[in-house]
Amino acid sequence: MSPRQGAEDELTRVLALVPWIIAHPGSTKPEIAKRFGVTVDQLERDLWLLMMVGVPPYSPGDYIEVDPEAETVEIRLADYFTRPLRLSPTEGLALLAAGRALLAVPGSDPAGPLATAIDRLAEALEGVDLVVDIGEPTFLADVRTAARAGESIEIDYWSAGRDEMSTRVIDPGPPFFAVGQWYTDAYCHRAGENRMFRLDRIRAVRATDAAFTPVIDDAEGPPAVFTASDDDTRVTVLLPPGADWVTESTPVESVVDLDDGSQRVVLVVGATAWLERLLLQVGPGARITDPADLRDLPARAARRILARYSGATRTP
Amino acid sequence: MDRRERLLNLLAALLGSRNGLTTEDILSERSLGYEGATESARKAFERDKKSLRAMGVPLDQVGSNEEYRYRVDPEQYYLPDLGLSSEESAALHLAVTAISLGNDDEAAGQGALMKLGGREGDRAQTIAELPIVPALAPVYEATRRRAPVRFRYKGEARHVEPWGLSSKRGRWYVVGFDREREQMRVFRADRIEGAVDIGDDAGFEVPDDFRPEAELTEEPWQLGGGDAVSVRIRVDPGRAADLAARAHRAADVEWQADGGVVVTLAVTNVDGLRSLVFEYLEHAEVLDPPDVRAAIVAWLESVVAASSTEPG
Repeated sequence: MSPRQGAEDELTRVLALVPWIIAHPGSTKPEIAKRFGVTVDQLERDLWLLMMVGVPPYSPGDYIEVDPEAETVEIRLADYFTRPLRLSPTEGLALLAAGRALLAVPGSDPAGPLATAIDRLAEALEGVDLVVDIGEPTFLADVRTAARAGESIEIDYWSAGRDEMSTRVIDPGPPFFAVGQWYTDAYCHRAGENRMFRLDRIRAVRATDAAFTPVIDDAEGPPAVFTASDDDTRVTVLLPPGADWVTESTPVESVVDLDDGSQRVVLVVGATAWLERLLLQVGPGARITDPADLRDLPARAARRILARYSGATRTP
Repeated sequence: MDRRERLLNLLAALLGSRNGLTTEDILSERSLGYEGATESARKAFERDKKSLRAMGVPLDQVGSNEEYRYRVDPEQYYLPDLGLSSEESAALHLAVTAISLGNDDEAAGQGALMKLGGREGDRAQTIAELPIVPALAPVYEATRRRAPVRFRYKGEARHVEPWGLSSKRGRWYVVGFDREREQMRVFRADRIEGAVDIGDDAGFEVPDDFRPEAELTEEPWQLGGGDAVSVRIRVDPGRAADLAARAHRAADVEWQADGGVVVTLAVTNVDGLRSLVFEYLEHAEVLDPPDVRAAIVAWLESVVAASSTEPG
């Protein structure tokens, strides 16, 4: 950070805390410091700085009055700084987006304090609002309740990678939304380790008698949704021109843009069913170049599906 | 003099001056801390102006040529009092901590909280990630100002009236009127290329009944503006519930005796339909109309043929 950005950040903070202190005379330093996310030392440095600020004609009565060494803080004669600086577009957008997103989380009170706060904010930002939809998978509430209460649940789960249904008992972590989907990082009794489950792929939830100790403290935030494991295969695919939606919507390990508009991508593949789906969507222009034994993967998948259209065989 | 001190003094002086201050006024005022009309003082003043603007201070330059005057309009500068209760402030704090918008924008959310009176109550555990992309803030600002924007999208220059912003499935969209195409269009904010150029204020009006979310098509088979074709798809038991759940708002759903399902979709985009049908691999089949069924078969046959002609 350059010294100039440092000064700007500090001033932005000072301009935010002065109005609050003026409106709440007699607050203690630790209280103010906590509220504005600084140390008491830093707060005192800010207060010393304020003492140096005045307005024309700069006679003694034109300087801000503050005693940085007193226990409680009062600021006087800071007439120009009684209100904070307006929100920048980035700040207004961030606050509104976070508020609208939390309100969109199923279970939020649509008429509670967050809703009224966001309405006031949107109005102050001249009526421009945001619409946020983060979906509501069928079993979100069940999983959330179980995660909170520490109740193991039995789920029917469709595994997209292997294209199969399974039933398993899990100890769910708190559901979270990332990369456009709701997930729970859960201990899977069948696998004997933690697995990431997509809530929209849970087909049924049943209560069990088992209990577990919920993990409460999670200052680090939600776990990463995509992590490659040692069992995964690296597959090199040549994508035809116009199929760049693949790299926009799928996690890829590497992409090389070739001269003719095609792309060579390396995908990390845990199970092949999703690769079949992906390459069938891309169509005849896609080619797997490595590993060799997967080269005819899309053709094999296409034949399986074609069998059903010819009426020769029918999947039960 | 400490630079922060100089900036605060300058800001106070600009806020307090009704008619504005000339560069000479500012440089010659000893208490502001510039060293008279020297070259280095002028440079320092230039830097300070930049800093104030970077902080979001609405620093105006009025007058002409030799008589430039600088001022900060209090009306433009001050944040109106939102009159938030402490419960409301605490709720905003929860929101800023519960929703992860990406690093810079999280800092921006915290910055906004500070201006609204600091952090009230406790922080929350992160429950959703909804990264904000760089193009969003300028487009949001333009939406607020009713200013048309210019940007590049899919390699083409666009001239758009941004009517609203909406987020769905973790992505942000700009919904607006494309001035060159003379049509409503939806733009994925993360695909806007490079800088967003904001035009003049009050360049358009948005109808009262406009709802950005209504312009976002739900599913890939509904993209495109052609005539809708009714397509029937069968999905086998096991995956049937998935299709039924996905299509329930957009389609007729008939459950079958064996536990499978037949849905009837209004399809305007056959590419999008393919992506739906292939989701289910051999567990799904397009029943009719015959030409759509034939198109799916032809596509699959072309995949088989490509494999057999492949070198090696």
